[in-house]
Amino acid sequence: MSLTKKQYIMLFLLALIILIIALWQPHALIYGIQRGSLYALIALPLALVLGILGVLNLAHGEFLTVGLYLSYMLYERFNLDPLLSIIPVVIILSLIGAGIYLLTIKHVLKDGHLNQLLLTFGVSLILIEIINIIWTSRPRNVFTSYSYSSMSIGNFSFGTYEFLYFFMAIAVLILLQLFLKKTRLGQATFAVGQNPRGAKIVGINVSYVYLFVFTLAVAILGLVGAVMLPRTAIFPAVGSPFSLKSFALAAMAGLGNMNGILIAGIGLGIGEAVIKSIPGAGGWADIVFFGVLIAVIIARSYREGN
Amino acid sequence: MNKKAILIILTALAVVLPFFTGAYVLSIFISIFVFLSLSLSWDMMLRTGQLSFGTAGFFGIGAYASALAVANLGLNPILSIILGGLFSAIIAFALGFVVLRLREIYFAITTLALTHVFSVIIRNLSDITGGASGTILPNAIFNGDPKLIYWAILLITFMVIGISEMFKRTKIRFAINSIRNDETTAKSSGIDVFKYLLLVFVITSAIQGVIGAFYAQQFAFVNPESTFSLNFLLLPIAMALVGGIYTTSGPIIGALILGLISEYLKLLIPYGHLVVYGVIIVLVVLFLPEGIFKSVKKLFASKDNVGSDINAQS
Repeated sequence: MSLTKKQYIMLFLLALIILIIALWQPHALIYGIQRGSLYALIALPLALVLGILGVLNLAHGEFLTVGLYLSYMLYERFNLDPLLSIIPVVIILSLIGAGIYLLTIKHVLKDGHLNQLLLTFGVSLILIEIINIIWTSRPRNVFTSYSYSSMSIGNFSFGTYEFLYFFMAIAVLILLQLFLKKTRLGQATFAVGQNPRGAKIVGINVSYVYLFVFTLAVAILGLVGAVMLPRTAIFPAVGSPFSLKSFALAAMAGLGNMNGILIAGIGLGIGEAVIKSIPGAGGWADIVFFGVLIAVIIARSYREGN
Repeated sequence: MNKKAILIILTALAVVLPFFTGAYVLSIFISIFVFLSLSLSWDMMLRTGQLSFGTAGFFGIGAYASALAVANLGLNPILSIILGGLFSAIIAFALGFVVLRLREIYFAITTLALTHVFSVIIRNLSDITGGASGTILPNAIFNGDPKLIYWAILLITFMVIGISEMFKRTKIRFAINSIRNDETTAKSSGIDVFKYLLLVFVITSAIQGVIGAFYAQQFAFVNPESTFSLNFLLLPIAMALVGGIYTTSGPIIGALILGLISEYLKLLIPYGHLVVYGVIIVLVVLFLPEGIFKSVKKLFASKDNVGSDINAQS
C-alpha cells in the first residue's frame, strides 16, 4: 500500500495530536484508542455492506444488539464464558443475518435508496422489539473476573481488557484485506463491488457474493458482540447508536478505504474521550460523531458541487 | 358529489365526537391526530423526492421552544404553540441552505444526525432546558380539558390537511412532482429547485414544530429522551406507507388504521407492541409499494370493473 504525500501529512498530524494528548490527558488517550477501535471494528462490516451491496443498513447496530443478547443468553443458561461463546454466537447470528437478508434485503437491492432505508429501518425496529418482548427493557450485566483487569505504569493505571478491541480491529482489518486480495471469493467480491454487471458477465455469481458479504458482516458483529459483552451493560437499544456512528466513520474514510475507518475511528474516539474528560462538558461528547458526520457530508457535497 | 358528502359527514362526526365519548376515546384520537399530522408533513417532504428522517428533531425543537416560553417567560400556551412552529421554521430555514444541497441517503442521514444533535444540545444546556430530567410545566393547556384539547388538535389537523391539499392542487404541484421525477429536467425547465425544496422544508418543519409544541402543552412536560423519541419519526413513516405515499388521504387512512391497531395491541403486549410497526414497514416496502389501502382498493376496483363489463354485455 503506497501513501500519497497528503496522507503522510495527515498521519503526521494525527501522531502529533496523539502525542500532545498523551502528555496532557493520558487517560483520555488510552480510553479513546480503546473506544475508537471498537467503533472502527463495528464500522468495518457496515462499510463492507455499503461498499459491495450499496445498501446502508440501518439495522446494523441492532444486529450487534442481537449478538450481545445471544452471548448473554449463553452465559446465563449454560454459564458459557462470553469469550468462549464467540463461536456459537457467530454461527447463530450468521444464520439469522443470512435469513433476514434472503427474506428482505435481497428484494430491495435493485430498488431506490428510499426503499432500502425504510426496509432496514423496519428490520431494526423488529429486532429491537423482539428483544424487548423476550428480555424486556431491563439492563443486564455479565461479570467475568478478567474484564476488569488493569495495568499500571508508575502511579497511572488503566484497564487492559479493552485493548482487545484494538488488536481485534487490526486483525479483522488485515484478514479482510487479505481475503479481498488473495482469495478467489474475495477477488470476486471486490469485482462485484466495482461493477456488478461486469462481474455478472464474466461469470461471477453476484447474488451469492451479496449473500456472502452480508453474512460475513453480520458474523463480524457477532464476534464484536461476544467480546464487548463483559464490559457492556446491555439493553434493547444498546446497539442503535452504533449504526449512525459507523456510517459517520464510513463517510469520513470514504468508500472502500478500510484503513481510513480505523484511523477515523481512533481519531473520533480520542476526540470523544478528551471532551468527556473536561469537567462539566462531558455531556457534549456525544456531539463529536454527529457533528463530524454532518460536517463531512456537507463538505463532500460542496466539493462535488464545485 | 358522493365523495363530498362522505367527507362532510366524516368532518362533522370528527367535530362532534367529544359529545358522545369519554376522555379515554378522546385521548386515543388526540394521539392519532398528532401522528396523522406528522405523517402528512413527512409525506409532503417526500413528494419532493427527499426522504427526511428529521421529523422527530423539528417536533422536539417546537416542543422545547413552546414549553420553555411558557415556563420561563410566562407566555400564553396557545401563543406558545405558534411560537413552537415559528422556531422550528426558522431553524429549518437556516439549516435548509446547507442540508438541502444533499440528496437521497445523505439527506436522510444528515437529518437523522441533526435530530441527535438537537437532543444533545438541549440535554447539555441544562440551565435553560432542565437538562436530562426535562422541564415540567405548572399546568397543561386548557387545564387539561380533553374536549378543548381534542378540538385544538382537530383544528391543527384540518389546517395541515388543507396545506397538503394546497400542495396537491395549486400550481406548485407541477414543480414538486417534476423535482421528484427528474431534478435535471426540472432545473432545465426553469424551476428553481432549491427555492421549492426550501419552501416545503420550512413549511413541513413548521408543522412538526407546531405539533411538538401542542404535544408538550398537552402533557405539560418535555424531556430530551421522550421528546426526541424516534417514535415521532417511525410511526408517521409507517402510517404514510400503510395508507399510501404521495397523497393526502394515505397518511390519514394509515394513521387511523395503525393508531387504532396499536392502541389495542398496547393492551395485549405491553412490551414491544411496536414490533407491528416494523413488520408493517417491511411488508409494505416488500409487497405493497403503493400502500395497503391503495392496493386493496385496486383489487376491489378491478373486480368491480369485471362485474360492470359483464353487466354491459348482458
